[in-house]
Amino acid sequence: MTVVGRTWDRLTIPGKILAVVIPLGAALTAGLAILIAVVGGAVVQFLADNLPLVRFVVAATIVLLMTIPSAFLIIYMEMKVIALMNLRYGPDRVGPFGSALSVVHGLKVLMKEDFTPTGADVPVFTMAPVVVYMSSVLSLLVLPFAPGLFGQDFNIGLLYFFAMGGLTVVGLLMAGWSSFNKYSLLGGLRSAAQIVSYEIPLTLSVVGVILLAGTMSLNQIVLGQAGSLFDWYLWRQPLAFVVFFIAVTAEANRTPFDLTEADSEIVAGFATEYSGMRFGFFFFAEYVNVFIASGLTVALFLGGWNAPFNWPWPVTVGLDPGGLGIGLLLLLAIGPPLAIVVLGLPFYLLNSRIRFWQALVIGFVLFNVVAVGAVLGLAFLSFDWVVGLLWFMGKTYAFVFTFVWMRGTLPRVRIDQLMGFAWKWLLPAALLNLFVTALAILVLKR
Amino acid sequence: MSLIPGLGIVRGMALTLRRFFQPKVTHLYPELPAEISPKFRGRLQLLYDEHGTLKCETCFQCAQACPIECIDMGGVDTKGRYAVHWGASETYGERREESALRRAGRTVPDVAYEHWSPIDLGPVDAILHEADHDPSRLLEILGATQAAYGYLPVAALKRISFGTGAWYAMIYGTATYYDHLRFEPPARLAGSDKAATPALGSGRQRLEVDYLAGLEQAIGSGSKGPAGRVR
Amino acid sequence: MTTTRTPFDIPAHASSDDPRVTLDEQLGVFEPIPPYPPRTEREAEFYTLRDGEMFVNMGPQHPSTHGVLRVVLKIDGEKVVDLDPVLGYLHRGVEKLCENADYHQAICYMDPLEYISSLFCEWSPVMAFEKLLDVQVPRRAEYIRVLSGELNRIASHALFMGWFALDLGGLTPILWSFIERDEIVEMLAALTGQRMLFNYFRIGGVNGDLNHEFMSRLGAWMSKATAHIDSNQALLNENEIFVRRARGLGVIDTATALQMCMTGPNLRATGVPFDIRRAHPYSIYPELDFDIPSRTEGDCLARYLLRMDEVRQSLRIIDQCLHQMPDGPVMAKLPRLIRPRPGRAYAAIEGPRGQYATYAISDGTDQPYRMRIHDPSFIHLQSVGLLTPGNLIADTMAIMASLDPIMGGVDK
Repeated sequence: MTVVGRTWDRLTIPGKILAVVIPLGAALTAGLAILIAVVGGAVVQFLADNLPLVRFVVAATIVLLMTIPSAFLIIYMEMKVIALMNLRYGPDRVGPFGSALSVVHGLKVLMKEDFTPTGADVPVFTMAPVVVYMSSVLSLLVLPFAPGLFGQDFNIGLLYFFAMGGLTVVGLLMAGWSSFNKYSLLGGLRSAAQIVSYEIPLTLSVVGVILLAGTMSLNQIVLGQAGSLFDWYLWRQPLAFVVFFIAVTAEANRTPFDLTEADSEIVAGFATEYSGMRFGFFFFAEYVNVFIASGLTVALFLGGWNAPFNWPWPVTVGLDPGGLGIGLLLLLAIGPPLAIVVLGLPFYLLNSRIRFWQALVIGFVLFNVVAVGAVLGLAFLSFDWVVGLLWFMGKTYAFVFTFVWMRGTLPRVRIDQLMGFAWKWLLPAALLNLFVTALAILVLKR
Repeated sequence: MSLIPGLGIVRGMALTLRRFFQPKVTHLYPELPAEISPKFRGRLQLLYDEHGTLKCETCFQCAQACPIECIDMGGVDTKGRYAVHWGASETYGERREESALRRAGRTVPDVAYEHWSPIDLGPVDAILHEADHDPSRLLEILGATQAAYGYLPVAALKRISFGTGAWYAMIYGTATYYDHLRFEPPARLAGSDKAATPALGSGRQRLEVDYLAGLEQAIGSGSKGPAGRVR
Repeated sequence: MTTTRTPFDIPAHASSDDPRVTLDEQLGVFEPIPPYPPRTEREAEFYTLRDGEMFVNMGPQHPSTHGVLRVVLKIDGEKVVDLDPVLGYLHRGVEKLCENADYHQAICYMDPLEYISSLFCEWSPVMAFEKLLDVQVPRRAEYIRVLSGELNRIASHALFMGWFALDLGGLTPILWSFIERDEIVEMLAALTGQRMLFNYFRIGGVNGDLNHEFMSRLGAWMSKATAHIDSNQALLNENEIFVRRARGLGVIDTATALQMCMTGPNLRATGVPFDIRRAHPYSIYPELDFDIPSRTEGDCLARYLLRMDEVRQSLRIIDQCLHQMPDGPVMAKLPRLIRPRPGRAYAAIEGPRGQYATYAISDGTDQPYRMRIHDPSFIHLQSVGLLTPGNLIADTMAIMASLDPIMGGVDK
């Protein structure tokens, strides 16, 4: 004991961590290997038999993991864009141009005390953020990001989407009711009234698109808009686009319809009593909802992952790395060091103040830039989903920017104006659009 | 509000987009120093003359003029010099009780004159009578006085000087020479009894007490003088 | 939670440790507990809930009550049925403090009353003391007072615009208006030595003449002020959402406004062009050429637009002050220790929120025997109880913001 104890005491803190982690990792690896050897065959057989299930699990995991960085990005965007519109600099301390601030915010939220108020309905209070967050993540599952890159291609995708989006209101109502706070209650009730009202024009405005596409699968709707800029449904359904955009803003609880968390009226609405990571889930869900709203608008009206002009893709690249054989291995071994030296040498030769190792570092950075660029370019040319993803993300973030821009400009509407607008203006407009679309289809088909 | 619905919103959004690209007005403070005008009055500071001497004479005129008593001064530093404090008197310890008393409208006792405060001199007279007013038995007299009072009050020393005919300076010198004789009540020197600690000690005294207490702890009981104090 | 118990059954002093208090009462959130059994019939009626109603405590830590105001709202759904403002969270007893300070020191206490428009808080006591002493203020000092005061009025109104928009949910206008306010405040700091609590007006003049830094900052700002202010307002004035929310909200008619002792922009928005600068002229205002804007609607939008019109008039006044600025001393010759003869004086001025007035009594000593401060915020806040019931919760904030109260002045 004495030897072990003394050695343990002399270890530094990283050393102690490593001394625990390395044996543990080794043991786990060994155990996993044994487990795979014993039951691996049966598991693989089971997975092979249930491929859709595997596909669903993988897609759900990826989507779940994807929400966090996209939420961070949108939070950073919101902070920075609104700051620039306010003639401020906004975040500029953590990371390049302050871009890591939202990550730091996330860590801060993780470290904060998770507080449950006295009198709260604890199970409901605990479940509410999960419900809100999961509804966002689940509706992301059917969003087509690129050709072949989507969680599931339901033939009722759009219906599923709205159903999942409607689940949000359950979570918000749960949060509002269980918090044991009147501000929360008001916020929850407001969200219920608002989302239920705006669901109707939202759904009705999309019916025109469904009529045109003849399907409810989002993937098929996007495919139906293939071609150039003028094949998008935006031009055939302008009224539906306006109605849909306004209604989706209200669905995502964004300014000017952010009544559920109107900070100048009901403090923070349903999230008043939440702290720590539970608040973080609400926060993330809000920004994931922004992403979803933008993505859905893009998929329905702006052609999804289609380029706005007839892009000559996929370009066939006549490079086959596999044909090099053992040469490929040699190239991978020799190429990078050679490239680093070749790229760094000019700096060493041309500037006497740069030492050789500094030139090597510069060469390494340059090589990485070049290599990553080359790989991306190759992928861009070779795989149509890369270019599709780029177009989709570009359009989506343009809409995210619009949402943020609206938040930076507009005041908030009042609850009676909000409801009146939905029932008196948006609903008739959506119905009119539906009627005209159906009539046009009927007349033109004849 | 314009005739076309939504035009005002669109124009407002165009305005914010224009501002998005305009130069920003934030003052990047830690990188760029703040511009403070020469007339800025937000900072209190003491001025020094060309020899580096403090110009403040502690005339208290500024403290008198201050309506909310945020200026106050006082205290002695470790070298016996006057240290001038700026700021509310509650913020530094040695004047806290005094400030509270003054705000309550009561007279503030001054610890500097505590030694001269009138005491009952009966025991001193008895001791002097017993020692036959003999200046050569001074050590005996002083020891008995300390036994009677616990320390040597200034008034008692003056009485001894008067009774024996010895110079006050000689008596004072004798008293300071011997370690077992002391001029303050023992509680103050012990530094542990907070209730007996006077409200106002000079900074030097308090530091000395703390220093000696720390020293005693550090050295242990090995090298103590006759009075139990560290030499 | 069906309970017939009224909140008065709970002993006011009952703590949560008290075994007599049940859990519901410990939580104490179903009914706000008034501090004691009702003193008036109105209180008893207010604290009794009818079916479907509930109380919401708005404040004192609410984000948009402009300080520490607590409003107990009795709501039915989103609709405000009744409300009970609770004041005094910021009470400091400024009048009594002033009575225990000498005349110079008393001015210092006035600054934090309405910290957005400090110079006007100083102006009325200074004028009252000057009347007590019968001092003639030098003309240059009067011009400097008007100049700096109008600058402060613009800063206050600019901030009003931002706050009003913020309470209606707009994030951007407050930062734009803070840019204007910051420039004004910086130039006033160059003139007075402080950014917020200026303490610049002295009995018999002002503390310090105009200096180069102030004049250069003022010149640079004046050249672009009109364009900036118009551009900032363009975001709100034409915005449909903003206009639809503010128009027809919190309408107060002339008779009620006069009954409620309203002054300043809130009264002028109801159609009474009453401005102390013209009605009871003081300082050098009679020599200046400016208009008193007024509107007849009396709603929140009118109050907002009227303040924006006043900003333009203030710019005119500043322009005239700069052109007519005479030479001379900025301080009358006065003894250091002031002992006015026994007497009483009243001085009222027109501030950005209305009438600021001071009534001072001297008993011949160096301290005022009595000082009474009339603050417009307190007067205007009482009309919230009249305007809000029947509106929605969101409109409570808008109405309160449109009256533009500062809680420092309300609680004194």
